[in-house]
Amino acid sequence: MTQEAQNDKFCLSRRAFLLSGGTAAGIVAVTGIPGLVDAALQTATYPRRKIGQVSKLKVDVPLVVQYPGKDPNSMAYLVKLGKSAGGGVGPKGDIVAFSTLCSHMGGPLIGTYKGKHKVLGPCPFHLTTFDLSRHGLVVAGQATESLPQVRLEVKGDDIYATGVMGLIYGYHDNLAIQG
Amino acid sequence: MVRAASDYQIPEDRIPLPPSNAEVLTTACDYCIVGCGYKAYRWPVGREGGPKAGQNALKVDFPAPVNSGKWISPNMHNITMVNGKPHHVVVIPDGDSKVVNVQGTHSVRGGALAQKLFNPNKPTAQRLRQPMMRVRGTLQAVSWDTAFEVAAGISKHVLDKYGEHAWGMKSYSYQYFENTYAISKLAFGAVGTPAFAPHDKPGPGKDTPGIDFSGINPFSASYEDWGAAEVIFFSGVDPYETKSVLFTSWIMAGKTPNKKLIFALPRKTTGVAWGESKGGLFLPVIPGTDTVLHLAMIRLILENGWEDKEFISRMISNKWEIGSGMGRGTRNTPWQWVTTWGKYGTDFANYKKWVLGYKYAELDRAAKITGVPANLIRKGYFWGVTATSPAFISEEDYQDFINISCGAGTRPGQVISRGGGHQRGWMGGAGYPRGLSPEKMPGRRKKEIDLDRWTADGNLRFAWVIGTTWFQAMAGSQNLMDAVRGMTAQSPHQIDSFDAKAAIETLKRRADSGGMAVVNQDIYPVAPIGTEYADLVLPAATWGEEDFTRCNGERRLRLYSKIADPPGQAMPDWKIIAGFAKKMGFKDFDWKDSNEIFEEAARFGRKGVLNYHPLVVKAKKDGVRAHDLLRSYGTEGIQTPIRMVKGELVGTKRLHDETLELGPPEGPTMHPKWLTHFGTQVGKAVLLKSPWEDFQDFYERVTPKGDEVWVTNGRINEVWQSAFDDKRRPYIMQRWPYQFLEIHPDDAKKRGIESGDLVAVENDDLLVQTGGYLGVDGKDLTFTELEKAGKIEKSKGSFTAVAMVTEAIRPGVTFAYFNFPENPANSVVHRVVDPMTNRYRYKLGKGKLRKLGESPYKHSFTTMSFAPRDIM
Repeated sequence: MTQEAQNDKFCLSRRAFLLSGGTAAGIVAVTGIPGLVDAALQTATYPRRKIGQVSKLKVDVPLVVQYPGKDPNSMAYLVKLGKSAGGGVGPKGDIVAFSTLCSHMGGPLIGTYKGKHKVLGPCPFHLTTFDLSRHGLVVAGQATESLPQVRLEVKGDDIYATGVMGLIYGYHDNLAIQG
Repeated sequence: MVRAASDYQIPEDRIPLPPSNAEVLTTACDYCIVGCGYKAYRWPVGREGGPKAGQNALKVDFPAPVNSGKWISPNMHNITMVNGKPHHVVVIPDGDSKVVNVQGTHSVRGGALAQKLFNPNKPTAQRLRQPMMRVRGTLQAVSWDTAFEVAAGISKHVLDKYGEHAWGMKSYSYQYFENTYAISKLAFGAVGTPAFAPHDKPGPGKDTPGIDFSGINPFSASYEDWGAAEVIFFSGVDPYETKSVLFTSWIMAGKTPNKKLIFALPRKTTGVAWGESKGGLFLPVIPGTDTVLHLAMIRLILENGWEDKEFISRMISNKWEIGSGMGRGTRNTPWQWVTTWGKYGTDFANYKKWVLGYKYAELDRAAKITGVPANLIRKGYFWGVTATSPAFISEEDYQDFINISCGAGTRPGQVISRGGGHQRGWMGGAGYPRGLSPEKMPGRRKKEIDLDRWTADGNLRFAWVIGTTWFQAMAGSQNLMDAVRGMTAQSPHQIDSFDAKAAIETLKRRADSGGMAVVNQDIYPVAPIGTEYADLVLPAATWGEEDFTRCNGERRLRLYSKIADPPGQAMPDWKIIAGFAKKMGFKDFDWKDSNEIFEEAARFGRKGVLNYHPLVVKAKKDGVRAHDLLRSYGTEGIQTPIRMVKGELVGTKRLHDETLELGPPEGPTMHPKWLTHFGTQVGKAVLLKSPWEDFQDFYERVTPKGDEVWVTNGRINEVWQSAFDDKRRPYIMQRWPYQFLEIHPDDAKKRGIESGDLVAVENDDLLVQTGGYLGVDGKDLTFTELEKAGKIEKSKGSFTAVAMVTEAIRPGVTFAYFNFPENPANSVVHRVVDPMTNRYRYKLGKGKLRKLGESPYKHSFTTMSFAPRDIM
């Protein structure tokens, strides 16, 4: 992906981010999408925070980061999958970040990453697995939601977290608890 | 490359909290048999609770603690109408539960129960809302009165002219006592038809005859027993995929969390992988050969003298006891009828002699037939016999001997059960009129009808289908659809007037020319029976829209509260049945509400394992409605059969329970022998031989040849039944937008198939039985004899699926979901019943694979995942 394309991606709205699946490098035009203004307003209050650097990431070696808050529920994994992924950023579109609390009952997913399948899990509580290349979709198990995905942006070598897609376990509102 | 849009649910990042004064109702899950307890919180739109414990009805500080059962996921919230006003509804597992789903754990299915409630802004907008009649080919709204008049008019004609055999009903058997009581009272009592089949079988009868004929109730165990077992042998099932919370709350935990699990399955799933990670065993069996595997294991145990001799001497029938009829005639027991007089039942000494001398029980031969290496078979059985608390779960058995030689069956942690099943919601208002059935075993005994064959052979003139996908759930689905289409949509006699009398005349002409009128009663349009064939489509109210009752897999009876308004003019099934019955002039269908039926039905279940009669007696004594007394038991409910001890209601933890101490029966209490012993005349279990030859002819005929593969099918955890609710859940459709087919890499490579490719599965050698209703001589109804008699025809079936290439499945075997109605895996399953039980061999489909190209999901980042299900 060219730097120009990355800059475009940097500007993508929440909704455009959601629909940016697929392996091709094409960029969805953002103007004129109904509802876009609302979506932008909704996400405006998520903090924008630097959580890592592209050059420091190794394929299949996840790093624990904190987002959106500093509390234990806000622990997330930042991982370079080595192949492009839904919502992925970086030159290969393969850098993603996800909550590490299982969206079933909050089980700890740290230490369960499976590089072969790009899967997080199984959760030690009830064995749910999540596909990190597909927006955290449940592979098998009991969660009623995908694993919440941290929205990322890349500027130069820096990786910024700018929002969360999906309700983090324990919260009733991702924006209600911060700090 | 242009990017295409695909299924994607925009995830929510907040949910409204129930305010502290929200109403709380108790219920249980609508889906699998585990039947987890749930609470529904509802409050008018416009208010929300706060994150402090004092500000919300869950009385918990947010963020809710890990594993607390107090967190509300976005799929647990919905907005629906209550008494005509919009309300928030949160349906959440009961976090305070000490039974079933301890501490509020839940499956992916139950966790999304709130999405079942009608919300016109969501896909539930597709709910049926008013009665419809197909006039000039189009379904259009009519009044309930017109619908009843037409249904009754054609029914009277069919009953008068063709008799009750021509008036058929295909209905769910599980969707609550109040409904099934009304349905059976109508079908078996008022109409008196033998042409009836439940949703999951071609005719009435036992779900698991092999277990039942031995005298073992398949739901005798309590979930606590699974928790207390030391070794569990699973044959043909992984409960993680079928009874999720039984697996996660009891099998993974319970009294003995380090229990050893042995699985005999053709594919590895999550539960199998977990079992292996804890030192368990996976026996990768070739579909259909389980009997041989079991025999080889039994032989090992008997050769080594590992059987529980004390238990066998005490609890297994000797030859005199097998014949004992206790005044009912020596052979007057159901298993004797179907097992042709002593062919299978035997005492232990003769059973042992038979197994030790039986060639198909030899280890090396068994290893060859089953595909399971001999050393694995040997290992599996060693564990079973060395455990002090072995337990056994089986699924899809019909003539298998289920192993009680290890002492399982009558003690805590030592039990026998089944791995699948819907909840127990059948309460018969009248008995099945077997005497009227057109089918007969060799000898004198009648057997229940095979409604599919009866229908396809052109014997029905009227069919009423309630809450099931009929064809797709049955074998040879498309062949059956073709037959029914010919009798309905392709008949020249189609209703062309809204005048009820004219409509009835048209349907009479259709019936008189060999066609069939169809009524379809459901909550959603069902293809093709409702959308293409039915003359009348009736909208039903369902879970959460009426007070209902039923039992779960440990016989736990709960009240399923009404939470919200049903859509439009939809009515609960019992009320629809009553409306029709009154038009027919049948008496005693005048119920005020569902509680009245619950109370009336209690008398009919008194002798059964679901007996709740004492609860109704106590409610009357206390001057309360029986539903309300049950409501006071909340999500915990009470396990049936309910007994009365010192004036109080007492539940029954397990059946066949040697440790249960019973005093004299009190008041309305019944003390049948099976409370403390097995369910036979003398209370001892009957050993049944399971000769492979009885099945071998069919098995060898349907074994894949050339480039055919086995096409077996089953459940996946994330989807319930025909996906009737899941199809209206955007998140589940994002995960499973289409039928899938697991294929081993070796089989895929040969055919150039990759994960994500669209594949056609085609069986051009589909066997369909026609006729063959009456057996005269011993072997008349065996596959070999039916084929000789020209009763087996060749047909075709096919479906498409998205390939999932995985080493989790055996080479030569593929696996699909059992009932995605648009892509029915049962289409490639032979419609030939087992002659003893009238059950299909559902898991023995076959076909050739044809790659059609890429599915839209192959390169999608949003929809469907191709990661395997056995990651551990």
